[in-house]
Amino acid sequence: MGYDLELSKVVQEITKSKGKLVCIQLPDGLKPQAMMIVDTIQAETGARVLIWLGSNFGACDIPLGVKNLGVDLMICWGHNPFHKKVGW
Amino acid sequence: MKVLFFDAPYFGKVELAKKTLEYILKKKYKIIALYASVQFCNQLDVVKKQLEAAGIAWVTSKADRTHVTSQVLGCDNYHSSLNLKAQADAYLYVGDGKFHPLALVYGQKDLSKDEVKEIICNDPIEKKFELLDILHIKTILKKYKGSLLKFLNATTVGVLITVKPGQEQMKPSFYLEKKFPNKKFYYFLDNVVSFDQLENFPFVKVWVNTTCPRVGFDDQLKFEKGVINLNDALEAEAILGKDSAMNGL
Repeated sequence: MGYDLELSKVVQEITKSKGKLVCIQLPDGLKPQAMMIVDTIQAETGARVLIWLGSNFGACDIPLGVKNLGVDLMICWGHNPFHKKVGW
Repeated sequence: MKVLFFDAPYFGKVELAKKTLEYILKKKYKIIALYASVQFCNQLDVVKKQLEAAGIAWVTSKADRTHVTSQVLGCDNYHSSLNLKAQADAYLYVGDGKFHPLALVYGQKDLSKDEVKEIICNDPIEKKFELLDILHIKTILKKYKGSLLKFLNATTVGVLITVKPGQEQMKPSFYLEKKFPNKKFYYFLDNVVSFDQLENFPFVKVWVNTTCPRVGFDDQLKFEKGVINLNDALEAEAILGKDSAMNGL
């Protein structure tokens, strides 16, 4: 695969936040890793993990409505923070 | 709800393939504008040293919406967003895939023929070298130009607005009414653009996209009525009047 998913850091963040319900979002190229990521997080933290099925074009593309389900933490791979500006 | 980002950096060696360096030398390029996707942009030290050792200077910039210097996003498809002040002979993109380097190609549509540069793509994973230029997007740009003309002539226009907070540009889109008081604008909300719904609104003669700016280009052929991006709509007449790469196709 060749990309560092920093799973130990992810586990640390979930543990620190005491998150019980986590949603993960992956760009298409990393979606096949979802099973391994979910299994690792569940085994290491006990948190339930939801996988975002839809698009992940960038940090501009965070799913809507997830908060309403009581998700404590949204974890997105493959992007860094996006600095939105008015217009393009 | 807290949102965390993990870059997923590439952990292999990030360097220029022999063919990439040979090509830059063969073309006698002296200054290269260097960019990479987030997986590679923090690991460009070897690439920079390779260029310097070959006597090639590199320049770069921090684009408007990016988090770090040298990073290019898919939405950096308008030249000004790169904030590149220095002159360069060509662009060098380090990373995999075409989505990011194509932003650099689209960014040249409004430049004059003399200003247009080629994009040299170096994929460190496959150790591959590839060239991209304005001809790779010729079909799209030709239709885009047609959509600009359609927009200028249309009296009823559909404006696409996304509810995604990172992409939403509702208020800027209302400026269309001020700029074009003789046109009637209808505003459409969506999450990801539902292309299969467009035909249900036959009164729309052309679309203006205010969601991700790549929709206006990459998805141009999915819009039977044509689509243009908001900033191009606001400057449609000037863009069509320019001596530019797009108008010269």
